[in-house]
Amino acid sequence: MSTIDPGAPILDTRERVTARKVSAAEMARAALDRAQALQKTLNAFVDLFPDQAMEQARAVDARIARGEPVGALAGVPVAIKDNMSLAYGRTTCCSRILENYRAPYTATAVQKLIDAGAIIVGKTTMDEFAMGSSGEHSCFGPTRNPWDLSRVPGGSSSGSTAAVAAGIVPASLGSDTGGSIRQPAGLCGIYGLKPTYGLVSRYGLVAFASSLDQIGPLTRTVDDLAAMLSVIMGHDDMDSTSATAHVDAMRDLHTPVDGLTLGVPRQARSTANTPGVAAALEAGIKTFRDLGARIIDIDLPHIDHGIAAYYIIAPAEASSNLARFDGVRYGRRAQLGPGEDLMALYCKSRSEGFGPEVQRRIMLGTHVLSSGYFDAYYLTALKVRRLIKNDYDAAFKQGCHAILMPSSPSPAFTLGSKTSDPLAMYLEDVYTVGVNLAGLPGLTMPGGFEKVTDNGRAAELPVGLQLVGPALGENTLLRIAAMFADRTTWHTRRPAI
Amino acid sequence: MAEIASVQLKVGLEIHVQLATRTKMFCRAPSVACREFDHKQSEPNSCIDPLVLGLPGSLPVINREAVQMAMMVGLALGCSIAPLTRWDRKSYFYPDLPKSYQISQYDLPLCFDGAIDMPLPGEDGRVNWDDYDTKRIGIIRAHLEEDAGKLLHEAPGGLPIDYSIVDLNRAGCPLLEIVTHPDFTTADEVVAFAQMLRNICRFLGVSEGVLQKGHMRFEPNINTVITLTDGRLVKTSIVEVKNLNSFKAVRGAIEYEFAEQPKRWQREKVEMSPGSKSTRGWDDVKMQTVLQREKEEAADYRYFPDPDLLPVVVDKNWLEQTRASIPQLPMARLKRYIDDFGLHAKEAAALVDERDVCFFYEECIAAAKQAGVESGKAGKAVANVLLQSGAKRANERSAGASAGSTEQVLISDLGIMPKQVGQILAMRERGELGSNAADELFGLLCEPGQAATDAQALAQQRGMLIVRDDAAMGRWCDEAIAQNAKAAEDVKAGKDAAIGRLVGAVMKLSGGRADAAGVREALIKKLRG
Repeated sequence: MSTIDPGAPILDTRERVTARKVSAAEMARAALDRAQALQKTLNAFVDLFPDQAMEQARAVDARIARGEPVGALAGVPVAIKDNMSLAYGRTTCCSRILENYRAPYTATAVQKLIDAGAIIVGKTTMDEFAMGSSGEHSCFGPTRNPWDLSRVPGGSSSGSTAAVAAGIVPASLGSDTGGSIRQPAGLCGIYGLKPTYGLVSRYGLVAFASSLDQIGPLTRTVDDLAAMLSVIMGHDDMDSTSATAHVDAMRDLHTPVDGLTLGVPRQARSTANTPGVAAALEAGIKTFRDLGARIIDIDLPHIDHGIAAYYIIAPAEASSNLARFDGVRYGRRAQLGPGEDLMALYCKSRSEGFGPEVQRRIMLGTHVLSSGYFDAYYLTALKVRRLIKNDYDAAFKQGCHAILMPSSPSPAFTLGSKTSDPLAMYLEDVYTVGVNLAGLPGLTMPGGFEKVTDNGRAAELPVGLQLVGPALGENTLLRIAAMFADRTTWHTRRPAI
Repeated sequence: MAEIASVQLKVGLEIHVQLATRTKMFCRAPSVACREFDHKQSEPNSCIDPLVLGLPGSLPVINREAVQMAMMVGLALGCSIAPLTRWDRKSYFYPDLPKSYQISQYDLPLCFDGAIDMPLPGEDGRVNWDDYDTKRIGIIRAHLEEDAGKLLHEAPGGLPIDYSIVDLNRAGCPLLEIVTHPDFTTADEVVAFAQMLRNICRFLGVSEGVLQKGHMRFEPNINTVITLTDGRLVKTSIVEVKNLNSFKAVRGAIEYEFAEQPKRWQREKVEMSPGSKSTRGWDDVKMQTVLQREKEEAADYRYFPDPDLLPVVVDKNWLEQTRASIPQLPMARLKRYIDDFGLHAKEAAALVDERDVCFFYEECIAAAKQAGVESGKAGKAVANVLLQSGAKRANERSAGASAGSTEQVLISDLGIMPKQVGQILAMRERGELGSNAADELFGLLCEPGQAATDAQALAQQRGMLIVRDDAAMGRWCDEAIAQNAKAAEDVKAGKDAAIGRLVGAVMKLSGGRADAAGVREALIKKLRG
């Protein structure tokens, strides 16, 4: 039995590895073993890469042995969502259509991890093409919540979140188009950060909705969140939407924000919140007050339209982004019967390859871009998008350092309870989509627990609180989260798995 | 029932120009339209990368060189340049379109609202450069987009296959789509415009304009206006003929439709209306258009702004830099050659017909002036030597090129350098070189390995320079008189016509080195005292 904790905080691991108290290879082995051991239980991984991971680990150990400098993540095991291209293994997006697709190149953000000495343990499960809020829309079956195996971990970065929550790795990469990092982070009691749009390169990230997609880290500590962000961010010539601005993520991380002012949206105290979520929000407000923060009420009048605008813009872009999966060059190609033509090749390959949620969104997106509907749907949604951004801008003009609200209206729900009701599932994103529409950074932190009873089964489930900041305000968000972590213990609790 | 009294043709033209950038429109894969690209050396699907293949996760990055070239063409066509221009996705499924959408420009094209005056061809389809009218052709827009790949229905080597294969070498290459107003009324006009546009693109250096390589493709939109005997006007429905890649095909397709559309209208009675437009292809063998798509079903391409790309902002600086980088265009050069150099229209037209020849011509003029040729005479003198000694050799080499090759050898490709041409002309002007010797020297300098040769030294070494030596002249004259006693007698007897024979003999004896002007004088002096 190994005594090595593969999920130990990044800074500890890096220190121990560079001091040769533990080898990177031992860290890699421990993470791989734990991932393997929990795979049947959690289904957090699509593929593990033992050979490449051990190779990466030995390379780090060799550098250390030679006395050469190593990166910020030397010897740290990490997991990446399976919608990020990696030049080995599969990149499936948990879709039948890419079930056997192998990318010939590596995504910029992933390459930065590798260059920093991280060990890529494996690719994690997700809702197909990142479309979903539960981790259930995967062709490889649902992922489970480490706090309660009958429940979903949230999504779409379901495997990346479960793997961190279960202590398989200290950090992972997810992607967030409408809440896919922040919502599962909340449901699994860990930290998750969706950076400002453009701060992290999207090159190599399989596109869902290009104007909303951002890669971001999931971790168990604020320090790890900052460390991961520092590594993956930065301008990339391969991504035209990549920001040239710089964020100093680590600066004064444990220095409290002077004169902290937080805005709490009137709309976040919604009746849709479960009692535990409502209580966590109020408790969070109290904690910040105790820390000396000024809490002001703000108004995000268009937040309720966020879901509607999001479910027009995101599917519109998705219908176009996913059109390339046509069975011609790569990916699944349907067997054709005699006399079947090119159109049959397209229709059959795509019908067999895409799951129902993806098909639903492709149809929705195709519809709203069609002539005759474009103005009424797509252009209107763009106008709403601008209004939402204006709402946030106005709030920050009132002097808020950040906006505080839940990451989702309820804690983890049971598997299958929302799969037949897409609208109920879409409402999971009510507090998160606006942040993507506005291109802002959003951070989820452990904010409490809620005792629930479903079908006579009692459980205590994590609740997440979300901090939203102005563009490029990541450092402030991280410092506020650190202040909160110093006063609370939610982030120290671990699932009994 | 009213009969057809007359038919008027109406044509608008869409032109696709592959811009000769080094890399493709949105990635770093090499472009097949690049000047240095070798089609024979490149395997199918060799100019590819993740973006060209449409691999998931790949992202487009704008090639500013393509924007620059597109702006140059737009400016040359008198277009306005949009200060901010956007990229849109045009969606449709086809195996040669890897992303299943083409990145194009929908409502904010880079170049718009232009016009250019073209010289009108005469009855014979050619422009009479001594006397021609011009016509203004309106340009609706010129926008940038990416090319598609190629779908092949037989295997390399012509082997039959029962499936199709895709070559993506062309996919993603920058394409400039130019759309004119329907201002053309004859096929000759369209072809003349197409040729002029090709020439402009060559002068701008944005395309080699080799139609066989697909550097330019033409799509005329053709219809006719029929006047009936009762005075009623009928507009026939518009036919768009796709992908014509030779001037012959452009002319053929338009002439065919001009003849056919009135008959088609008589048969089907379909008039121009929204949705009545059809798409046809061109059969080069039968010289007919062939129906591809009846009634353009208002194709829904679901255009929307590409979220992967930022708008391109053309600031004043960039625009002015681009404007300044545009070389003088062929029509302006033609006028200058006639007005300033005193060239005949035909000579000037021959010199501006090929960009490389034209640029070579001007380099030779500069070299001639440098070598001491009188400024006012250099243009004409260089034109003479290039269009005589040069054209003769270019034609010989073209004819001698390996069978099957259609490559025309250009005067600028002969091997002789501008400096050498300048030296020849300077020697001529100084009276050191006879005309035959000049032509011979020109030929020698076209041979391989002579690029660095000093023309003056070579002429000297080969004894080609005119000899100004009275003793030698005396010897040649005596010998010529001895060889042609009869002619000498005739000259003595006052028959001037006979002297030509003697002059010829002297030139022959001197190997062309005798000063032609002095020979006659010397002979008469000898014979008539």
